[in-house]
Amino acid sequence: MRSLFQKENRLGLLVALPFAVFVALFLIYPTLVVLYKSVMPHGSFSTSALVEAVSGTYRTGFINSISLSFWSALIGGTVGVLLALTMKSLTRPKWLHSTLDAWSAVASQLGGIGLAFAFIATIGAQGAITKVFMNFGINLKDMGVSTTGFWGLVVVYLYFQIPLMFLVMMPAVNGLKASWREAAAIMGASGARYWRAVGIPILAPSTLGGILLLFVNAFTAYATAYVLNSSYALVPLQIRFLLQGNVITGKEDLGNAIVTWVILLLLTSLLLMTYLQRRTLKWTSS
Amino acid sequence: MSVGVKRYRVGAILKYVFLVAVGAYFIVPMLAMARFAFQAVPMALLTPEKLFSGWSFSGLGTALTDPEILSAAKNSLMLVVLAIILNLVLLVPLAIVTEVRNPGLRPYLTAFTLLPWVIPPIALVVGVAATFRATVPWFLASIFSLVPFYALWAMPFTYRALDAGLQAINARTLYEAARSMGASLGTIIFKVLLPNMRASMVAASALTAAMVLGEFVFASLLLKRTLPTEMVNYQRGDPRGGLALALFVMVLTALAIGLVVRSLRRRGLNVQTTGL
Repeated sequence: MRSLFQKENRLGLLVALPFAVFVALFLIYPTLVVLYKSVMPHGSFSTSALVEAVSGTYRTGFINSISLSFWSALIGGTVGVLLALTMKSLTRPKWLHSTLDAWSAVASQLGGIGLAFAFIATIGAQGAITKVFMNFGINLKDMGVSTTGFWGLVVVYLYFQIPLMFLVMMPAVNGLKASWREAAAIMGASGARYWRAVGIPILAPSTLGGILLLFVNAFTAYATAYVLNSSYALVPLQIRFLLQGNVITGKEDLGNAIVTWVILLLLTSLLLMTYLQRRTLKWTSS
Repeated sequence: MSVGVKRYRVGAILKYVFLVAVGAYFIVPMLAMARFAFQAVPMALLTPEKLFSGWSFSGLGTALTDPEILSAAKNSLMLVVLAIILNLVLLVPLAIVTEVRNPGLRPYLTAFTLLPWVIPPIALVVGVAATFRATVPWFLASIFSLVPFYALWAMPFTYRALDAGLQAINARTLYEAARSMGASLGTIIFKVLLPNMRASMVAASALTAAMVLGEFVFASLLLKRTLPTEMVNYQRGDPRGGLALALFVMVLTALAIGLVVRSLRRRGLNVQTTGL
């Protein structure tokens, strides 16, 4: 082991230090302060803020946020995988591949106020699709599909969830080698048997990992939900409320406690995701 | 035999139905947005005869010349440039040195640059308000306080893009070859490595720009006037103009990302836009 401060390592230190200081100052320090304050609400150790952060309206917030993230991740994940599989089986329109590829890169980044505006014009009270369904006597709002309702939010979130899943799954789906399928067919396996014994077990880790990524992605989305319905009980919107009401209500510790729960939730999901990704790499890197 | 053929056809039809449905889901909101933005006919009064009347780009024109929007756009462009510079200054030397001198550190750096994923903007903003607001109030009062945080969120995909670029050109071999021929470190970096990393630097910068131009959490919660926050304000007063402007920005961003992704794929550089 050579010392970190020996001459040949001085260069490494020179480039690593500013980076480390930067991350420590702007990311790690504020985070540690929040974590510390959430368990030391009034200067002494107490779990009261952490308990309050998951009771009452804040519990509703967590439940809504988790179900919104869950459903948009599950539906977006399923459609994304199917899209990747369908695209793999289609070779013919070549432009479709490159277009969908570029479009997914764009759309997976689109979760923002522009997207919210687009859906206001689509399924909002004066939206084009709302009007079309109205002509058939179907009121979308009664079915919860409006820009302010739960399923409306799911529909909007899918707009960036599906392309993200497609991007994440494409390498894994491309890793399914045609020779495996041929080998299975030669040994007399039916299409269904091939999927049960080979395809699904190989795709499962990356699919689950992708769905977790979508979950995290939806849980932390803010701009879209804010524009569509800023009073909806979702964790990011409640954080905003507490942050802006800080001075008056003195609920600073509550905000810290909510953030602590959020970080714990994301950390768990991302650790699980990394583990699943490592399992996927075994098959796709060869 | 005929059963097999039939089943095959049903499968193929299902495939296309699925693709068309997904395609419609992606295209319809954009069309609805464009109609709302550029056709001055309320949806309630829209009849087949009126389908082609009332179209105009005046809403977009008014929005694009609005002084508030212009100054917010200027702020956003400034943030884009500064975030890109800060990010590249921090990460380019780090990526190079890690790759050519300490390749063993690569996995750690990859994991480390993922940290902003664990602490998303909506969580970090609470910490930032709790710390910097009390200790250095002048910092949060300035619009430039957004720069380090924007650089932070651009870190995951920037590092991955730079790393992919270094891998693609076999940076370590180039470094050793140049070294053995007596080139100085400065020569290697400026004449060999940096010119070869231009593509990944362009890609990372384009993604950073797209991210900064759309970032809403920090700008809104720290009460800064950037293009996204001003767009929300503007839309309250002029819904049509607001939507036209949002569509305009979205199309521009989409074109930029799309072009970058396509040109990179053509060079065989597989840059992950997801940052993972």
